[in-house]
Amino acid sequence: MTLRVRGLRKEFGGRTVLDGLDLDVAPGEFTAVLGANGSGKSTALRCVVGLETPTAGEIEVDGRAAMVFQKIHLVGRRSALDNVCAGALARLPLRRSLSPLLFPRTLREEAMACLDRVGLADRAAEPASRLSGGQQQRVAIARALCQRSTLLLADEPVSALDPKAAEQVVALLAALALDGLAVVAVLHQPSLARHHAGRIVGLLDGRLDLDAPASAVTDHDVDRLYAPDRAAVPAE
Amino acid sequence: MTLIREPGPAPAPPGRRLPSATVWLTLAVLAAAHVLAWQGTGFSLTALAQGWRGMASFLGDALPPDFDWETVLQPSLKAAAVTLYIGLLGTTLSIPFALVLAVLAARVTAYGTTSYQAARSLLSFLRSVPDVVFALIFVTAVGLGPFAGVLALVVHNTGVMGKLWAEAMEESDPGPREAMRVLGASRLQTALHAVLPTVLPQLVGLLLYRFDVNVRASLVLGLVGAGGIGFLINQSIKLFRFDQMATHILVVLVLVIAVDQLSALIRRRIAP
Repeated sequence: MTLRVRGLRKEFGGRTVLDGLDLDVAPGEFTAVLGANGSGKSTALRCVVGLETPTAGEIEVDGRAAMVFQKIHLVGRRSALDNVCAGALARLPLRRSLSPLLFPRTLREEAMACLDRVGLADRAAEPASRLSGGQQQRVAIARALCQRSTLLLADEPVSALDPKAAEQVVALLAALALDGLAVVAVLHQPSLARHHAGRIVGLLDGRLDLDAPASAVTDHDVDRLYAPDRAAVPAE
Repeated sequence: MTLIREPGPAPAPPGRRLPSATVWLTLAVLAAAHVLAWQGTGFSLTALAQGWRGMASFLGDALPPDFDWETVLQPSLKAAAVTLYIGLLGTTLSIPFALVLAVLAARVTAYGTTSYQAARSLLSFLRSVPDVVFALIFVTAVGLGPFAGVLALVVHNTGVMGKLWAEAMEESDPGPREAMRVLGASRLQTALHAVLPTVLPQLVGLLLYRFDVNVRASLVLGLVGAGGIGFLINQSIKLFRFDQMATHILVVLVLVIAVDQLSALIRRRIAP
């Protein structure tokens, strides 16, 4: 397993956001995560990459976890290639990591291959801020590849994109899973999830409520996750 | 909850909320502070009205300004250039010190509690000692002249610009920093690859603002013997040559407007 989560709990000031989450993700598996706002999807991903400290539970990652965000978080003034190179910062010797001018040639070549994988080799020299939203998200994915990650977590990667760009990015995630990467993506578009992901998991009040092959997930399953009168059910 | 409903009048809006007791109390304290300040500074409109003759004779002596090229205008322009040089070096030479201290004193890039507190204390100290006091100290070391002025500005400006830069870094978009954390970058790498490139336009804008302020500050430093056109203004006042003083002040006006326009132009060009 690339990712193994057991009994993950997270509380923010007494409010329970994750209430004992279990999840395994295998290499090459594209898992889409559905769930209403506040169901704990983002928090779960942030716990896996260490942006949040779990209150309790175990997280094991075989290899390296990378993450892409809804707001993308590239450095707009830097070129697409320099942004991708940043994925390698943790393994560079300090003195070669201080400025993009010092990045080794081998790294620039590796980053170029990552940009090529997401179809943006021809935009390598452009400042990231000049690219469209979909292209920026693909640069962020290339940065995750340059990190040599085995697990790619995507927190609403397409929520800010137009439908065509969203489709492209999700299709890219599916293609990367075919290459052997384990992909876990929070999506707010059940149709995209059903079309591209191999597996859909649903979170409800910080717990796994749905876990099925994408082809087996029905409209009813999805509606239940987003049921508007859910809040009327007293929380335990 | 249903969003489709029968047509009909909407419910009445909630009543207006009056300002709370805290707001009234704050206003009362502010009013009391103004009464004390009025008395404490001897603020008196009658004194101002009765003393108009003094101001009128002063202005009479100052006008028309003495524009004699050899004795007034040429020395004035030369001294204005020196004032500009003091402001320029005082700003640029403080960049490396301000940058290091700002990185150490910004919560998002700081290395540890000790160096963070030390950097913040040092910046506060440099900021709270007026540049004029630093100038007087450096005059005792390197003598009267522009060099003492440059040193004073470098030291004081390090404190002010370091603080402004640290604040700009703290207010930078946390997103790129989070991305750096996820990919395992060190604090230094995060500062160099996420924080600094993101806030660069703000840092340059603040640098230009400080240049603007420092050129004006170097005028005042001239008054305490650090050279430049402030020195000439001081001299002409002491010799009761208010017509020459008027010329120097007009030259200062042109200099300040030129610097202001230049920095505004550059800031527009680098706007993010």
